[in-house]
Amino acid sequence: MRSNMRSKIPSLITCIALVSCTGREASVSNTATGGTVVVVVPGDAHTFFPPHIEEGIGAAVREQLYERLADMGDDMNTVGDKGFTPRLAERWDWAPDSLSVAFHIDPRARWHDGDPVRASDVRFSYRLFTDPKVGSTTEIPNVDSVSVRDSLTAVVWYKKHRPEEFYDLVYQLYVMPEHLLKDIPLEDLRKSDVTRRGIGSGRFRLVRWDAGQRIELVADTANHRGRAKLDRVIWSVVPDAGAAIAQLLGGQADFLEFIPIDQLHLLDSSKTLRPAPYPNFQYAFLGFNLVDPKSPARPHPIFGDVRVRRALSMALDRRAMLQNVFGKIGRLSYGPFPRTIAFADTTLTVPPFNVDAAKALLDSAGWREPNPGAVRQKNGQPLKFSLITPVSSRPRVAYSVLIQEQWRKVGAQVDIEQLQANAAGDRQRSHNFDASLIAQSPDPSPSGYQQQWGSSGVPPNGQNWVSYRSPAYDALLDSALTTFDAAKTRAYMRRAFQLQIADAPAVWLYDVPTVGGIHKRIQYAPMRPDGWWIHLADWTIAPNERIERDRVGLGATTR
Amino acid sequence: MRRYLAARVGQSLVVVLLVTAISFLLIRLAPGDPFSFVGDYAISDAVRDRLRAQFGYDRPLIEQFLLFLGNVARGHLGYSHSMHRDVGSVIADALPRTLLLMGAALVASFAIGIGVGALQAVRHGSWLDRSTSGILLLFYSIPDFWLALMALLAFAYWLPIFPAGGMVDQVMHDYMSFGGRVRDVIAHLILPSLTLALLGAAGIARFQRAALLEVLPQDYVRTARAKGLAERGVVFKHALRNALLPIITLVGLSLPALVGGAFFVEKVFSWPGMGYIAANAIASRDYDLVTGTVIVGGIMVALGSLLADLLYAAADPRLRAR
Repeated sequence: MRSNMRSKIPSLITCIALVSCTGREASVSNTATGGTVVVVVPGDAHTFFPPHIEEGIGAAVREQLYERLADMGDDMNTVGDKGFTPRLAERWDWAPDSLSVAFHIDPRARWHDGDPVRASDVRFSYRLFTDPKVGSTTEIPNVDSVSVRDSLTAVVWYKKHRPEEFYDLVYQLYVMPEHLLKDIPLEDLRKSDVTRRGIGSGRFRLVRWDAGQRIELVADTANHRGRAKLDRVIWSVVPDAGAAIAQLLGGQADFLEFIPIDQLHLLDSSKTLRPAPYPNFQYAFLGFNLVDPKSPARPHPIFGDVRVRRALSMALDRRAMLQNVFGKIGRLSYGPFPRTIAFADTTLTVPPFNVDAAKALLDSAGWREPNPGAVRQKNGQPLKFSLITPVSSRPRVAYSVLIQEQWRKVGAQVDIEQLQANAAGDRQRSHNFDASLIAQSPDPSPSGYQQQWGSSGVPPNGQNWVSYRSPAYDALLDSALTTFDAAKTRAYMRRAFQLQIADAPAVWLYDVPTVGGIHKRIQYAPMRPDGWWIHLADWTIAPNERIERDRVGLGATTR
Repeated sequence: MRRYLAARVGQSLVVVLLVTAISFLLIRLAPGDPFSFVGDYAISDAVRDRLRAQFGYDRPLIEQFLLFLGNVARGHLGYSHSMHRDVGSVIADALPRTLLLMGAALVASFAIGIGVGALQAVRHGSWLDRSTSGILLLFYSIPDFWLALMALLAFAYWLPIFPAGGMVDQVMHDYMSFGGRVRDVIAHLILPSLTLALLGAAGIARFQRAALLEVLPQDYVRTARAKGLAERGVVFKHALRNALLPIITLVGLSLPALVGGAFFVEKVFSWPGMGYIAANAIASRDYDLVTGTVIVGGIMVALGSLLADLLYAAADPRLRAR
């Protein structure tokens, strides 16, 4: 392996060679800090500008460049401020009525250009997230306003006292430098070069972005929270999945965040790599469109009947499919949630696999076989529909074939439509589908469920792609969102989930397993379900295990 | 000759205009738009509508197209939403990289193709001729992306002698000497250019073989042999020179194939050229960037075709006289 060969080169010779060849100083890191991590990713970030973040790579880089006022603890609690830890704010004080909270900015905090961070930056950032001219991809609905008490104190005023008011604000709001952005018309921010410079207050700062090729960050040595333990992180863009794995195996890259299940054995046989499984919030399901694609005001001609949905759910052997597609690493869904979420409940009962019961239920719903083995019919209409599968997801493509075969056995004919993610998204957004294999990540809070399963989340307002509407479900979500008692939140959510499972708007398939591949020399900090990158600044590489690229240091880029 | 040249330039302009119109229409007919990303950070429909209006995507197609043409005429190719930069500057960065890759591939493909074709013609009917014909047919039939992946697997993983992708070493390149940087680029260039070269060489070798077989039995070759010239001199100095004429045409005609091949090969090898950005632009429905890359690709193909005609005219006095 190239990396092995490189690691044998004595460090002293390397450093001398680097200095003599380039004339640029390659600073040698001390023992506690140093090293370079090359992360290989399938696509470039569209932007790092926090209000415009659209995809995971942009979010990963944003997390390193910008800061929140406070961060959620690793227990992912979203009620009150329990477990939240200081970030840009060194502390915060609640008003007696809990309708406002004063954030005290760490006086040591500096932007990457050297200017101090001020309370007015918080107010300005709130404006950027909420002004429609900016076109933010995230919303902070419960905040009424942000005021400035003094240069280091920003006061956030809420519309209502709600259990998740603290989380709603600090999790969404990344603070941006007013002095650099204030003179740019808000509608021009999307095209502004200033937003591409990524000047924030995070523990890494941007030194290079070659669009479509790489993003390079180095440690901000003067950071108020301490410099990042790594010197340098590079996101290397490799669109082809096979080439990405080849770069990892060949030693050009150190971390690939997702190794396809059929390639995991390559890590076992590698001398330099190891698997890095980590939690995430993604779960996959087969969603039944509950509205007529031709006339969304009417119920779907097949899936409008809950008996049909339940029968089709019971006709699927979820456990066997899981084993078939994922082998040992698969985790079965217990309902509309990933197990990583704080209020996940693995004691809920989902419709059991029972082909005979499924057939009987279809019979009772009026869908009968004209002759044994034929496609069922009702009033002359065949039990025939399409299933959308994103072609980019190998597990879901495999599931679609298994599902097609199992439904054929109960007299349902399924036509699989393999589509690009964009095309599938468009079809879902316009209600133009019958059934779809979907992977979704909820917020770690009940409010995410309003967007993804509540009546208010039916497109175009949210991501309730199947148009599931249940007043009782909505009421339970509302209750979960208004209680300040975490145990009650769990109880309300359990009732909501059980109701949803009984309504069978979907077949709950699996928690999406995520296993990355990482170079053995890297010691990574705990990876959180909301992003493996959250603690990236705390990843380390032991001095005796460093290879040539780890010894580049900060170069001429040190602040 | 000038009239002929003017006519060919005129034809090329019409072709580029047609290609532009078709690509402009097709990318807009595809599902989704630059703001239809579906994921954890999906934007609301209200914001999406606002952005569509801001960038003029809510206007009738014909109006959008005329506006686009007007901008192109003024030298503005539009704005890339996926790169967050002007399309012109994105293409200005990518085009030299593609030209470098295509140039290297073109030279290598002709060197290999002419050499192998000549060897086959000289050994016509032998086992060498038959076996190389089979191998060439295999390369001719292989899909470019598959050959690229196999090359990657073989020479970047099983036998790790070349880097697995990119144009330079992402970390160390800036810290290398000038010579080291050049070697770094060459090391990254070898696999993608050889992949393209092998695909192109197969066709060139077939042409070269046929052309040389046509020339070898001719009287002047027999005369050269009768004069006592060594066989190598007969083949290379007399026969091959004349048999190169039809191959010259292929130089220009190879460009469209190379542009098409580069699309996939650049993606597999993460070579940041025109094909690479075009593939990413299509996936993210980056309207202006897709159309911009198609325009530039169309111009390259038209220029290639024109070049082929000019080279042929330059090489053949009968054509030049017309």
